[in-house]
Amino acid sequence: MAAEPTTRELRELVAEYEFERGHLLPALIEIQERYGYVSPEAIEVLARQMRTTPALVYGAVSFYADFRTEPPPEREIAWCSGPACRILGGDRIREALQHTLGLALDSQSEDGAYGLRLGQCNGTCSEAPQVWLDGEVVGDLTVAKAVAIARDVKGDA
Amino acid sequence: MNDRFTAIAAEAREGWEASRASGREQVNVCLDTSSLARGGAETLAALQEAVAAKGLNVDIQTTGSWGFCWLEPTVSVRSAAGTRTVLYHSITPDRVEEFVQATLVEAGEFPELALGVVEGAPSDAIGMLDDHPFMQGQIRRLMANCGQIDPENIDHYLANGGYEGFVKSLDMEPEAIIEVMLESGLGGRGGAGFPAGRKWDFLRNATAEPRYLVCNADEGDPGAWVNRILMESDPHLIIEGMLIAAMATNAVEGYIYIRHEYPLSIERMNVAVEQARERGFLGEDVLGSGKTFDLVVFVGAGSYVCGEETGLINSIDGYRGMPRIRPPFPAQAGLWNLPTNVNNVETYANAPLVLRHGAEWWSGVSDDEAKGTKMFTISGAVNQPGCVEIPFGLSVRDLLEKYGGGTPGGAPLKGYQPGGPLSGVLSAEEADLPLTLAPFRDRGLFLGSGGIVFFDETTSVVDLCTYFLSFAEDESCGRCTTCFQGTQRAVEILRRIGNGGGRDSDLDKFEDLIQTMTWSNCLHGSFAMTTVKLALRYFREEFETLIREKRDPTRSLPGMITYEITSPGDPALAEAAAICPTEAIVDAGSRFEIVDELCIRCGACAEVAPSAVTVRDRFV
Repeated sequence: MAAEPTTRELRELVAEYEFERGHLLPALIEIQERYGYVSPEAIEVLARQMRTTPALVYGAVSFYADFRTEPPPEREIAWCSGPACRILGGDRIREALQHTLGLALDSQSEDGAYGLRLGQCNGTCSEAPQVWLDGEVVGDLTVAKAVAIARDVKGDA
Repeated sequence: MNDRFTAIAAEAREGWEASRASGREQVNVCLDTSSLARGGAETLAALQEAVAAKGLNVDIQTTGSWGFCWLEPTVSVRSAAGTRTVLYHSITPDRVEEFVQATLVEAGEFPELALGVVEGAPSDAIGMLDDHPFMQGQIRRLMANCGQIDPENIDHYLANGGYEGFVKSLDMEPEAIIEVMLESGLGGRGGAGFPAGRKWDFLRNATAEPRYLVCNADEGDPGAWVNRILMESDPHLIIEGMLIAAMATNAVEGYIYIRHEYPLSIERMNVAVEQARERGFLGEDVLGSGKTFDLVVFVGAGSYVCGEETGLINSIDGYRGMPRIRPPFPAQAGLWNLPTNVNNVETYANAPLVLRHGAEWWSGVSDDEAKGTKMFTISGAVNQPGCVEIPFGLSVRDLLEKYGGGTPGGAPLKGYQPGGPLSGVLSAEEADLPLTLAPFRDRGLFLGSGGIVFFDETTSVVDLCTYFLSFAEDESCGRCTTCFQGTQRAVEILRRIGNGGGRDSDLDKFEDLIQTMTWSNCLHGSFAMTTVKLALRYFREEFETLIREKRDPTRSLPGMITYEITSPGDPALAEAAAICPTEAIVDAGSRFEIVDELCIRCGACAEVAPSAVTVRDRFV
């Protein structure tokens, strides 16, 4: 993932995108794939490219759960919020993760070392209850296992 | 018949036959998202390594899913002579060595992990796959290729009848295609069941150009993954269906809108679109017919209401995915305010089957009023979370027992959710309902896109209501006050009840909300209270016990219980104290105690010291 984006880089990255062709989401996804998040600067650059207002671009950024407005943490636990996980004890896992990490859902530690995110079901319900540790499914969880994972991520195992 | 297609299909078939007559063993590794979650990629790597290390001359390829999600990774082996194929399950990396030894080095079989014989004769040790309890009664039409072909190879699709339905439609008038679709009785698979042929006819009769098709692959209902299975196992079936719809409606461009949680589906659909374009199935002058149709794979960014067709259209248009006010309907003003048809993945995927085999064959699969087969995924409190394809009409209980393998430990079923967070919950007394549209409609809900989630007596209905309403609150687009405030209010009341603060008047408040929220613009708001409405109908007693006796019969709601150490000298308690995330278990000299103010009711201690920790009612 690249470091802090420069205006010129951003302009080049979105140069081919046109609002009229349904390119707002694809452009935002590309920006996030490159930099890990969508910065205020990127919103301004994209708005100019799309010949629209930063407010409209920011409206989309804030509407869709997947976009981040700050750099992602180094390590991340995404907690699956799906029904199969819930029925098999997922909410107790959430509670334990939040307290172990000292974080609310969709937040990260001040130094950016670790974060906790609300995940939406990806249909691997055979592994419920589960979290995704840095994007990989860790399934058949118990609360105790989740606490151990969170302590490891936090660095105080 | 189109000459170019005849040549393309013949070449694909030749290649397929040649590869199957190679004289080498063929190993097919299922790699869909479920398999990846269970180590499928590591299994594939270990197989390749073992084959290379032993210098075996074996073809290894990847396929999509057979639906045995709980037994992944599944691997099939086809004999060198090409006379026998056996499907195996749970081939985790640590089993690969012995598996390779048994099946490839010794050219024998591995009955311990065999699911069944796919082709060839059964033996004493291994029966036919079709006789496996999970396969019996399934009729695999949409899933015919699933697990059997490489989803990233268009030739595999072509060699198995692929694109034949589309080529038929190339020579038909749009009216004739729509007539066949109407005759088949194919209803929309997204939940509403509206006849696909009629929807297509609206677009055909539109007055503006250009026209668009949209495939709703957002599969937003958590607990449903039927679309994912199709996209990851047989993506060309969806492309072919959209091509047929394009011929029926004169649409020139289509969008496949896939949720970002499905990276492998996105990848495979992109590969398939690219390959279809290379072969001339997409783009200008499709197969030399003079007709134009192309596809774009469009990736969502996390929003449930984008599964609503006008929300989805706004999302592609570049706006927030807020559902529009209708009319105008998409057939008049959809993408860029031009005529557009939106169907679910499974709806489009049925069209090639209708065209290839005819409406009569397609609808003749059962006598049910809802025509054709339907894919269902089974999850929650079940032993076998997986994916099946069956004719409409099987009872919910049979789905659970036959295919879901029953509940864990045979616990009594408490209820189930038939189709997504807006579709409500039903109790076990309704488990004999047939899985078809009418009985659910009659009860004020709908059989959704195919994700059936079961729960047993350990689950609190108030917790489920809180979950589904919180979901609806989170995902409300914010347009209608009835919806975004109504869901908020419902969550507040549900949380209060779940924390022991329930009041008798709350049940009336729910009735008010149920009525008020039906005045929302889209289904999201008007159906958000379905769960509460049905929970009050089927599980009213549970609400009343919580409100009046301040007692949770399931002893699972965190606000209604306390944890108590009942054998303070139990040696497992040291571990329980260590795992407790809030250090609520303290060592008071010779005994352990729980500091109730610190306890968050996560239950970690009860997991590691089950005989020392007891759950008690908080208020009783």
